[in-house]
Amino acid sequence: MPLRVAGVSKTFAASDGASVQALDDVSLEVRDGEFVSLIGPSGCGKSTLFQIIGGLLQGDRGTVAVDGNALNGSRRDIGMVFQEESTFPWRTVLDNVAFPLELAGLGKAEREERARRFVRLVGLDGFERKFPDELSGGMRQRTAIARTLAFEPRILLMDEPFASLDEQTRILLGDKILQIWRELKQTTLLITHNITEAVQLSDRVAVMTYRPGRIKRIVEIDLPRPRSSEIIASAEFGRYVGLLWQDLREEASRGMADAERTTA
Amino acid sequence: MARRTLAIRLAMLLALWAVWEIAARSGLFYEGIIPSSFLVLDSMGRHVGDPVFYGHLARTLYEVLAGFALGSAIGLAGGIVVGAHRFTDEASAPYLHGFASTPKIVFLPILMLLFGAGPGSKVGMGAFSAFFPAVIAVAAGMAQVSPVHVKVARGFNASFLQIVRKIYLPSLVAPAITGMRLGLGVAIIGVLLAEIKFSDRGLGHLAIQHYNFFRVADMYAVLLLTFALAVLANALMGRVGKALLRRPVPA
Repeated sequence: MPLRVAGVSKTFAASDGASVQALDDVSLEVRDGEFVSLIGPSGCGKSTLFQIIGGLLQGDRGTVAVDGNALNGSRRDIGMVFQEESTFPWRTVLDNVAFPLELAGLGKAEREERARRFVRLVGLDGFERKFPDELSGGMRQRTAIARTLAFEPRILLMDEPFASLDEQTRILLGDKILQIWRELKQTTLLITHNITEAVQLSDRVAVMTYRPGRIKRIVEIDLPRPRSSEIIASAEFGRYVGLLWQDLREEASRGMADAERTTA
Repeated sequence: MARRTLAIRLAMLLALWAVWEIAARSGLFYEGIIPSSFLVLDSMGRHVGDPVFYGHLARTLYEVLAGFALGSAIGLAGGIVVGAHRFTDEASAPYLHGFASTPKIVFLPILMLLFGAGPGSKVGMGAFSAFFPAVIAVAAGMAQVSPVHVKVARGFNASFLQIVRKIYLPSLVAPAITGMRLGLGVAIIGVLLAEIKFSDRGLGHLAIQHYNFFRVADMYAVLLLTFALAVLANALMGRVGKALLRRPVPA
């Protein structure tokens, strides 16, 4: 199995001395070439799980394995795309994308040639010499995605990469992501709170509970491939969105009540 | 720049000049306090043609540049050390900010005791002045290094040294330039003040000499030339800064 998350738990010490259990026995598998989304309300521990799978944070229990090898320290096989603005403002698009190749010690000519391919793949050809502050938010996030793809990871792991973009840009970028996914046959795990995005892109969607985060249900999205964003208009699409919302409603309500209690 | 901005700037300059000339000729001021601008221009011309002037200019340039370089270098390094930990940052903040807002000229006697009455104490003033903006800007810049940039690098298996070289140092270029721009300004102020107080050479010395002998037009001429020099230095610094910010990644 390309990615196997087994029994991951994590508890944080809160500032008032109490502790908050963010993740409770989370297990999830992603098959070869599969696109899986993990969806949950705010505060369900999605980002914690993202960091644990990416190797930036240690879980209290459980394992993350890529192709059967448990990850410890070395994260060579997982490429992360972050929710926050993460392009380097002092580098051009091309130099941003070439960054992981530069770290790996590739020569300038070779890394630029390889980086160009991924710049083209995300549709930014012609912008190689631009700096991030000369691009739109969507273009910057595509630069970040191209940079991670240039790392040629076994697993592409994305944490709400389009959270800061408007709905329409987000849907259009979804098309782009699907096109890249087809072309590279890239095994992908997307973390999101956006139901439409999850259904539009995924083979399977795992729904998480609110605090502690557990996998509540895994829904197979049996929509035809290749897909385009036009699928949003179909009755089937709407049925899946409705189905997921049924699962999420209760969790999101608990989260909202919690947030309102702590601000009161 | 827009044409209109340029036109307004020229108009402001002309208005200023007109006010000066009218004041000079009005007879309202004690004779010679405000010399005619033509006398000043004439004096500027004579200064620029006089080798003695260049001796003073060279001394001032040396003091400013040496002081600025020294103060900036120590300031940049110090800023990295101070900003590396929140603890050192918080502990040193009151001293750095306190000293930064103190007029450095009060330390001139100490610098003269340490480095003599010659150019050494002026270089010291320049360095002392340039140090604070640099150290404060870089320490603040360290705290501003984006955590997500560091995470990106870690996610690509970057080594500690790679993170320092490829994330921290480039992130510090902008704050370092800001600090050095301010530093250059205060280094010029510090050096000139020190020269005016006590020196045997330099533009500040020249200006105060003219003052002592009541050569008012000559004094204005030196001050205006000094002003032009400071403006030029600042513009040059801005150019260098822009080039550094937009430089291609080396192979």
